Amino acid sequence: MIRMRRVTKIYKGNVYALEDVTLDIEKGEFVFLVGPSGSGKTTFIKLLIKEEEPTSGQIYIADTNINQLRKWKVPYLRRKIGCVFQDFKLLPHKTVFQNVAYAMEVTGKSRRLIEQQVPEVLKLVGLGHKLDAFPDELSGGEQQRVAIARAFINRPPILLADEPTGNVDPSLGEGIVRLLEKINSTGTTVIVATHDKNIVDAFRKRVIALENGRIIRDQDRGVYGYE
Amino acid sequence: MNRVKYFAAETWASLRKNIILAVAAIAVVAVSLGILGLVVMGWNMFTNMIKNAERKVGEVDLYLTDLTTTEELKAIEAFLASIPEVDAATIYFKSKDEALQEFKERFKDQPELWEYIDENPLPNSYELMTKDPKDVGVVVNRIKNDAPHPERIEDIKSASSAIEKLENIFDKFRQIGIVAVVALAVIAILLVSVTIQVAIFARRREIGIMKLVGATNWFIRWPFVIEGVFEGTVGSLVAILVVLSVKVWILDRLVESLQFLRLSFSAGLLAVLVPCILLGGVVIGALGSAYALGRFLEV
Repeated sequence: MIRMRRVTKIYKGNVYALEDVTLDIEKGEFVFLVGPSGSGKTTFIKLLIKEEEPTSGQIYIADTNINQLRKWKVPYLRRKIGCVFQDFKLLPHKTVFQNVAYAMEVTGKSRRLIEQQVPEVLKLVGLGHKLDAFPDELSGGEQQRVAIARAFINRPPILLADEPTGNVDPSLGEGIVRLLEKINSTGTTVIVATHDKNIVDAFRKRVIALENGRIIRDQDRGVYGYE
Repeated sequence: MNRVKYFAAETWASLRKNIILAVAAIAVVAVSLGILGLVVMGWNMFTNMIKNAERKVGEVDLYLTDLTTTEELKAIEAFLASIPEVDAATIYFKSKDEALQEFKERFKDQPELWEYIDENPLPNSYELMTKDPKDVGVVVNRIKNDAPHPERIEDIKSASSAIEKLENIFDKFRQIGIVAVVALAVIAILLVSVTIQVAIFARRREIGIMKLVGATNWFIRWPFVIEGVFEGTVGSLVAILVVLSVKVWILDRLVESLQFLRLSFSAGLLAVLVPCILLGGVVIGALGSAYALGRFLEV
């Protein structure tokens, strides 16, 4: 599903964010991308959604080389990749329903489809009873569930989560990852970038560990491994 | 249909949010296009006045007595053609009959002026144009001093210098008008682009999320383009309203009360002017939003 070949990203001032990264992630996998702050996790995600270009190396998503993707096709790439962020990125003046519906509206889905699918997905993430609430009426964990619902509503084959538990109460973090696991079980490839040791250790999934932009470990059923 | 509704709602919400700037942009669009309309109308009125004037700028008319023989006419015509300042191709002999026809045509609404004439009182004449309007005086002097058979020349008339001066003034008026219109149009474009920039800034969160969930670039851009074009169009509608009222309430009355000046508007002037103003508004709005989108919306 995702192939990286000798990918290097150098930011201005000769800062190596990623160095010589080569990896394969198969369809339907669940992967933790771990490492301390500044190890290159966020750059990894930005490269996948083509928010940044690699300095060198090739990235393939579903057998498409996204380096060569034309600019106008980038939106169609992003429809294949749902994204969840630490800061949720919800619109404060829209309700839970409207926030999720927004992802369908801007990709031109019909009103009928929206009315039908948004409540379904919100029920899946456990917020079927809060359709009309506004984000600031929700806990961090609930807001992140809304964000996950929005990322998943268009059924992307890939779901990226950048520190999804970062702004969520520690006791609720596990529930968020549990939800991502549920989404993974529908066949979606899920990549979770995190430095939350407890969660990584609890789920025992494939772990790709980054340090200073290099892969230092790639292990099935792995643990966080840093101190 | 869904999309049209979505874009309309987005545009309306955005306009309401920064209503003061939008009104300012609309006002400047209206002023620039309004001035354009007034300049064009004024110019048209004036050109028609010159066109309708008895004598054009640079024209010299030479009236001859009825006693002039054909040989004498030929001699005079040859002399006129030999004057270096005269454009020989414009020398035209107007017979008594033709002059009377013209007179009847011009005063066809006042038949009492010519109905009872049994003998044509109008003279034969030569009309000619100088190569350069400012040489009219020179030409008139040459004819007075050197023409053969001076006893046959009854009168020499040239366009009044007042019209010439007027033409100079109106030329300046037109130049200043064009400069003002261009300057105001540029300001209008910038102001529209400022409102769009503010709108983009106000919606930067939405734009970020739209990109994230894969909205196409044009889907993101459209509401802003529509907002700019809407402002331009409303501005041009205001300008059209102003131009039409000025015409109906002021200029038409002027034309009527100053009939001796022979002011008039060309037929179909408004049919051209009104769509042009509308188009101008759309273009100003589109350029304004294009500028803002190009600079401030990286999609």
